[in-house]
Amino acid sequence: MRIRWNICVFVVFLVTSVMWGQDAPLTGNDIIHRVNDVFNQQTAYSKSRMTIVTTSGNTRTFVYESWSKDKGEKNLVRYLEPGRVKGQAILMLNHADDIWMFNARTQRVRKLASHAKKNKMEGSDFSYEDMGSGDAFIEDYTAERLEDGEVAGRDCYTLELTRKAEADTSYARLVIRVIKDNFLPIAIDYYDEKDPERLRKQLLQSDIREADGVPTAFTMVMTDRGDNTRTEMEFLEVRYNLPLEDGMFTERALKK
Amino acid sequence: MKRSIGRICLAAFCLLAMCLSAGAQEKLEIFGYYEPQYVGTYVNESYYQLFTNKLRVDLRYALSERITFAANFDFITYHGKRQWNVLDFLSSDLTEQVPEPVRPLYVIAFENEIFLDNAFLKLSFPALDLTAGKQQISLGTGYVWNPTDVFNTKDVLDPTYEQPGHNAVRLDVPAGGRSTVAALYAPEASWSESGKLFELKTGAGRFDFMLDLIEVLWVFHDYTRFDPGAQDFTALPGKRRLVGGSVVGELLGLGVWAEFAYNWMEQIEDYYELVMGGDYTFDSQTYVMTEYYRNTLGKSDHRDYDLNDWMRFFAAEQKAVSRDQLYVFLQHPATDLLHLGVQNVLSLSDGSMALAPTASYSLSDNVELFAYLSFSIGSEGKAYGASNGHGGLLRLRVYF
Repeated sequence: MRIRWNICVFVVFLVTSVMWGQDAPLTGNDIIHRVNDVFNQQTAYSKSRMTIVTTSGNTRTFVYESWSKDKGEKNLVRYLEPGRVKGQAILMLNHADDIWMFNARTQRVRKLASHAKKNKMEGSDFSYEDMGSGDAFIEDYTAERLEDGEVAGRDCYTLELTRKAEADTSYARLVIRVIKDNFLPIAIDYYDEKDPERLRKQLLQSDIREADGVPTAFTMVMTDRGDNTRTEMEFLEVRYNLPLEDGMFTERALKK
Repeated sequence: MKRSIGRICLAAFCLLAMCLSAGAQEKLEIFGYYEPQYVGTYVNESYYQLFTNKLRVDLRYALSERITFAANFDFITYHGKRQWNVLDFLSSDLTEQVPEPVRPLYVIAFENEIFLDNAFLKLSFPALDLTAGKQQISLGTGYVWNPTDVFNTKDVLDPTYEQPGHNAVRLDVPAGGRSTVAALYAPEASWSESGKLFELKTGAGRFDFMLDLIEVLWVFHDYTRFDPGAQDFTALPGKRRLVGGSVVGELLGLGVWAEFAYNWMEQIEDYYELVMGGDYTFDSQTYVMTEYYRNTLGKSDHRDYDLNDWMRFFAAEQKAVSRDQLYVFLQHPATDLLHLGVQNVLSLSDGSMALAPTASYSLSDNVELFAYLSFSIGSEGKAYGASNGHGGLLRLRVYF
């Protein structure tokens, strides 16, 4: 009898130990923080090619360089091609709440109000908000984990991000598929600001490789479901956690 | 004229050769655009056309990380009606005062030209930027009107067109955070005639602020008196001292800006200019902007507009003939490549207005088309009255 009792205690101890030893399941909040860490490195530099496919099938191609600092809080974008926009630059601070545009032809810097962050960047399907919002996933939305799924053969977490009441963003909610292996979003659905059921845009990321040890999608395709347009963005060069001075993210530097 | 053109071309060639022979072709950038333009005007029951071909060639050469040389040449040819008499656009009660023999003096002629628009060296150090040479100078936050900008005057229906370069030395010194101090010297024949500018720029919250102190030699002309010695209208040069400021930011979700300048004048009465504007982009991507402009050099009663007011306005010596004006701009992306809009410039002082539907279309990555029609609505003699005529502009720009 005593032996049986000891066996029971041992079994209970064993089961409890195994249960305690297991990782607690990740919550939506845990996952989105990990996503944010991957997405927003301390500093980043990239050279990108952006190709806009219009409703009529025409294409417009831009090449630009961008720098970001403080986990995406500061962003600077400078256009290299085509000649029409060569030298134009955009400075976004405070997660794109403050935007300055530099027109190289007129040498004028124009400060834009925050409503401008909803504008299409050079007519593309990416808005300034999409490009420079930094940690908006955490600051502007609450995350809830939905049922896991598979996208493009990758095992993914599925998150629903719902806009916080006080947040000033262009989307009522987002549905994000995050690759379990590296916490990189592979797909994001953007839902309308006024109609949370209406899908406005979809971002698909592919060609995932490591750059400076950081998982990076070298190709992004944003599709506007309403306008039936598409913008493809391709990284030509990416570097992370390189030294960048604060002085790069000033109006003075914008004019250089 | 031909000799000066030759000299400029030779200088351009030498410059190019120097840059290329330096074995650093990869650092020399050559770009620019070709711009054919058509302007049509219907006035006094006649239709006139002016065609322009403009070729702009830009050079940029990075001598080192800190030193940059940049320049551009403009080559412009004019065709069609190359001589425009300003009197054709004024009310008959004003033109009747002008004796027949002096009427040709009011002609503005468009001559083919080649000129060095900008050429400057920029030195950038952590503690300062120094720019020396012919350079663009852009002041103020206004979209259509800039009271603090004594160097440029914008076309109200085409306010974003690039401005010419000005010979100057400019120093920009960062003063911590979002603050910078700028000093500019635009040399003329003597120190007292030269332009001087001091600007303090700073930011707080969602706002940027600028304070400007400027002194320039300002030349008004008396367009009713001819100076035989100068073979021109009588010049009235005098000091213009300006204290001004501007602010841009966001208020209740709207983009807002304001700009003010008070001018102490040596030759005429002192005056001030004020601009207040706001803009908003709707979710539909429709963009709306409005800007109010007051210039106390302008008259509040159109019956007081005289020949000098009009001529000084056309010669960019003063920015308006009427005291209070309102600009409204509405634009919507009709497609990804086509933007349609309408501009409306209203003289609040006399009730006349210019209405200009606009369109801009992206033909390809490096080709864009811009067009507007303009309709003058108001009786003769008013700021945007019938005597201004109706017209339009069609501009193609091909970048390389």
